[in-house]
Order: sequence, then C-alpha cells, then structure tokens
Amino acid sequence: MKKSTLLLFFLQLILVFPLSAQSDNPDFFRSIGKIYVVVAVIMAVFLGILLFLIYLDRKVTKLENQIKENE
Amino acid sequence: MSILKEVRFLLQKELVLEWRQKYALSGILLYVLSTVYIVYAATQQVQPHIWNALFWIIILFASVNAIAKSFTQDGEKRQLYFYTLVNPMAVIIAKIIYNALLLGLISFLTFAAFSLVAGNPVKIASQFAIALFLGSLGFSIAFTFISSIAAQAKNSSTMMAIMSFPVIIPVLLTLIKLSANSMRIMQDTAIWKDIYTLIAIDGILIAVAIILFPFLWRD
Amino acid sequence: MRKFWWKYLGAAILVYVILAGMLIPLKPGVLEISPSTAQAAQTMTFTVEGYNTNYDKASSSIRAWLRSDDDHGLTASEITVVDYNTLNVTFNIPKWLPYESKVKYFSLILDNEIDGASVLPSAVSLTQEVPNLARAKALWPQGNIKDLHTNEVISFPYRNILYETIRNLYFHVSLWLAMMILFIVSVFYSIKYLRTFNKDFDDKALALTSSGLMFGILGLITGSIWAKHTWGTYWTWQEIKLNMTAVAMLIYAAYFILRSSMEDSERKSRISSVYNIFAFAALIPLLYVIPRLTSSLHPGNGGNPTFGSEDLDNTMRMVFYPAVIGFTLLGLWISTLIYRIEKIKDKLYDRV
Repeated sequence: MKKSTLLLFFLQLILVFPLSAQSDNPDFFRSIGKIYVVVAVIMAVFLGILLFLIYLDRKVTKLENQIKENE
Repeated sequence: MSILKEVRFLLQKELVLEWRQKYALSGILLYVLSTVYIVYAATQQVQPHIWNALFWIIILFASVNAIAKSFTQDGEKRQLYFYTLVNPMAVIIAKIIYNALLLGLISFLTFAAFSLVAGNPVKIASQFAIALFLGSLGFSIAFTFISSIAAQAKNSSTMMAIMSFPVIIPVLLTLIKLSANSMRIMQDTAIWKDIYTLIAIDGILIAVAIILFPFLWRD
Repeated sequence: MRKFWWKYLGAAILVYVILAGMLIPLKPGVLEISPSTAQAAQTMTFTVEGYNTNYDKASSSIRAWLRSDDDHGLTASEITVVDYNTLNVTFNIPKWLPYESKVKYFSLILDNEIDGASVLPSAVSLTQEVPNLARAKALWPQGNIKDLHTNEVISFPYRNILYETIRNLYFHVSLWLAMMILFIVSVFYSIKYLRTFNKDFDDKALALTSSGLMFGILGLITGSIWAKHTWGTYWTWQEIKLNMTAVAMLIYAAYFILRSSMEDSERKSRISSVYNIFAFAALIPLLYVIPRLTSSLHPGNGGNPTFGSEDLDNTMRMVFYPAVIGFTLLGLWISTLIYRIEKIKDKLYDRV
C-alpha cells in the first residue's frame, strides 16, 4: 500500500519536474494561449488529492498497528 | 418566570456585579487609553484612512478582551445554580445586551479619547454613530457566543482569538467601509446597502446564537 | 458494487470533464494587431495575428472592418494572407472619424466562412486633426458589418487575456462549488447530531469538513496560479472573494483546533457541531454579501454573484455542471473514507 503511493509520488515528481524546470522562462506559461496554466492547475489539484490520500494512508496504517497491538 | 423577566434579572445581576467589581471595565478603559496614547506617540499626525483602521483595530482588541471572560468569570458553581434556575435563552440574551452596552460605552470613550489626541476626521456624524452602534452590537453577538464556546475548551483565551477573528471579519470590513464613507475618504451613493448588510449579519448571528446556545449550556 | 455506483459515476464524470475540458478547442479569435495606432487620412497596413484560425483555407472569404462603438464600420481595402494565423490588412482611413474627440479606439472585426466572426476590442487608436462628424458619417457607413458567418464547430469562447485558461473554470471554479456543497452537507449533519446526539452524524460532519477544507485549499492554490498568469499577481487584495475564502479556511482550521482542544468525546462532538453551524452562518455573508459591496476581478460582481450568460456559454455549461457534480462526488467519496476511519477509531477507543 505504502510502496504504491510512494511510487505514484515519484511518478508525479518526474512528470512535474520538467515543467518546473522550463518555467524559469517567464514566457513558457504564456505560450500556446497560456495552456500550461491549465496544466499547472490540473497538476495542483491532482497533487493535492494525492497528498491527501497519503495522509489518509498513514492514518489507516496507524489504526492497523493499533489493532495489531490490541491483539 | 417569563424570558423577558429573566433577561432583566440577569442583566441587573451583571450590571450590579460590574459596579461592585469595576475592575473589568476600568481594566479595558486603561487598555484603550494606553493604546490610544501609544498610537499618538508613534504617529503624531494621523491620516484619515489610518485613523479609520487604527480606530477599529483598537475597538476589536478591546472587545475581544472585554468579552473573553464573560463566561469564565462566573465560577462553575454559580453556573450550575443558574442552570437550574433560568432559561438558557435568557442567559445568552442578557449577556449579549450587557456586552453590547459595555462595547457601546468602550467604543464611545475610545472615539472621544482618539479624537482628542489624533483629531476627529468624521464628516457625517450620523453615519458614524450608526457604524458604532451596529458594530458594538455585531461584536457583542459574535464574541459573546464564541466566548461561550471557548469557555468549554482548554486554554480558552487562545481559542477565543482563533475562533472569533475569522468570524468577525465580514462585520469588521463592512464597518470600516461604512466609517470610511462617513469620513468622506470614499464616496458610495448606495451606503444604505452596507447598513442593511450589517443589520442582516447581526440578525443572522443573533438568531443562530439564540438557537444554538442551549446546546452549549447542557453540561 | 451496486452500493458504490455513485463513486464510479463521479470518477467517470471527472474523466469526461478532463477529456472534454482539454480537447474541445477554443473558438478562433484575434490575438494581436500591430501597429496599434494610426493617423486619419492615411493608408495603413496592419499585421493581424489570429488564434486557432484557418486564414489560408478560407482566404477568399476573409473580410475585415474597423468598428466604432455606435456601429460605424470601415471596410478593409485589401487583405493578404501570410499563413494560417497571420494576415496583412490594409485600411484607407478617411480624413474624418465618426467622433467629436481627436483620439478614439476602434475594434477590429474579422470574418471568414470557416472560422466565423471574431472581434478584437479596442484594437487600434486613430487620431484625427479636425473633427467633422457630418462628413465622417458618409465615409463610415452605419450597419455595413453584416452577413457574418457563425462557427458551427463545438468550441469554448475565446477571450483576450484569458485565452486557454478559460478551461480553468472546470478545474478551479467547480472546486469552490464542490467545497460549498460539502460544507452545506456537513452543517446538515451537525444539525442532525444536535437533534439526535448520535456520534455517527458528528463523524460524518467531521469527514465532510475535512474534504471540504482540502478542496478549499486546492481552490486557493489553483486560484492564485490562475491569477498570476492572467492578472499578474499571485494574491490580490482587490479580489475579495479570494480573501474571503482564505478567511473561511481560517474558520474551518479553527474548527479542527477546537476539536483537538477537548478530551471528552461527547462534549467535543457537541461543541464542535455548534461551532460548525455558527461558522457556516458567518460564512454566508463572507462569500456572497461582501463581494457585492466592493469592486472585484471575478466576473458577475456588483449585484450578481454568478456567471452571466456572457461568461458561461452553452458549451461550457455542458462541461462545467458535470465538473461540479464530479468533484462533489469525489469529495463525498473521500469523506466516506474518513468517516470509516473515524468509525474504526470509535470502536477501537470505545467511544460512543
């Protein structure tokens, strides 16, 4: 469970990194009718939901450990 | 006993207590005076829009301090006594009225002290008076209710600040706009809309406070 | 499977929203015209840059006008196509302009059979020496801009400055609406808790508030990314709705701090339910009453807090409303996860 989320997170990094590397150029986000602003917004939503999932995942792991201890 | 009678009785009790102890009101007044003095010492010449902002910030902090203890100062035993005796609705209404009176007094005195040291930029007195009146009412409703919530939590003074500032911002922004208009810093022909907004916010908050208060009182 | 149909429906709707929202093209429009100033009594050739246009395929049907505010039009004398999105348009500008003032802005209107008509508002400023309204009216005929083509292809409206970011309506604005729906449902459960004192309802309210808060924070982040590239700043104090929502986030952050400051489970549920309802009552004026009072960059302010028909055309509605439903269902799905975690916690720690 945990491994898969980590994997996803790194996938995300690989996907986002080239974007942020190019964005040093101020005209990048304004190219092709500012379409990369839309891409950035979708990425932000996706990343946000992903981080929330990781947070939930850790919560569940904690509960599982608690249940194991109780047994 | 009808609710009105209970409210009157509780209000009387608050006023008598205040009169006997005096430290609450005098403490707040000292706070206001020293803040006004510091503002005067720091700025000397105050522009109207800064006057406006500083005035409401002083009032805001004075009100939070004045109201924060309104549910913690009665000891638990006395609260239990009231619980068996009166309707919770009467308790919140009496506290709101008392706090509104207190805040009205504080804001008037702040205005007097502030205009003494920093000048009086108010051009339309009636509008400013309405702002003061609706402001003390709105602050009183929101802060009284929040203080009754905070009284139930651990370290209630921090909780009071955390919970009350975001809740009061709509009232505060409308008030600042209203008083800016009364100082002619800005011109708005439809200023009545702001006054109606304030009345509506006060109305909503007081209705919700009265409905919800019995649930806080249930211990 | 049958029980969870709405979760899959939500996911399917979101897939549709992303596909439709990204694949449907923008309507052809005019990006730029240069030079943007000219004198009266001058023959001037302007270079016009289009967006998503097919000038090369529709070269025979291209027409162009300079238009004044009260519908006086000047037809272009010569149009040459450079490539699919570049035109050279020549105007014989008369000696007199249809205005009393010396300098005036005119908009550019282009039309061709493939792309339909497109407008660049306030495109060119023209300067005249001596105004003469009577003679100008003969040279600038009124109502000669007619027989415009319409673009039949399914597309989103083209707006200057916004360009492609008009698509953010589906990924940013719908987050706000989903957040409000989640908060409303959460308040509903808080009211239900206060009527029944059943811990389940408080757990549900907590779960909905958490996912609503997540959407709110995402809305703030995406909003500031969008604002940076259209208005030029990440954060603006002019934009009262942005600030008001930040305040709403503070309110709900206080809700979570309040919960953590109490030990006793019954009291925690009761007090936080009360605060949830009270904070929501304070949120209504925050989001809808205050923006009416101040000038704001969001569309629809000054009396009407929703998108007007000009901002939201029928094609956009076909994607925007599903986006709201999709994000709401996603939020509800996340909420059920948190709710189930809370239930397990209740069992584990023997809370009732």
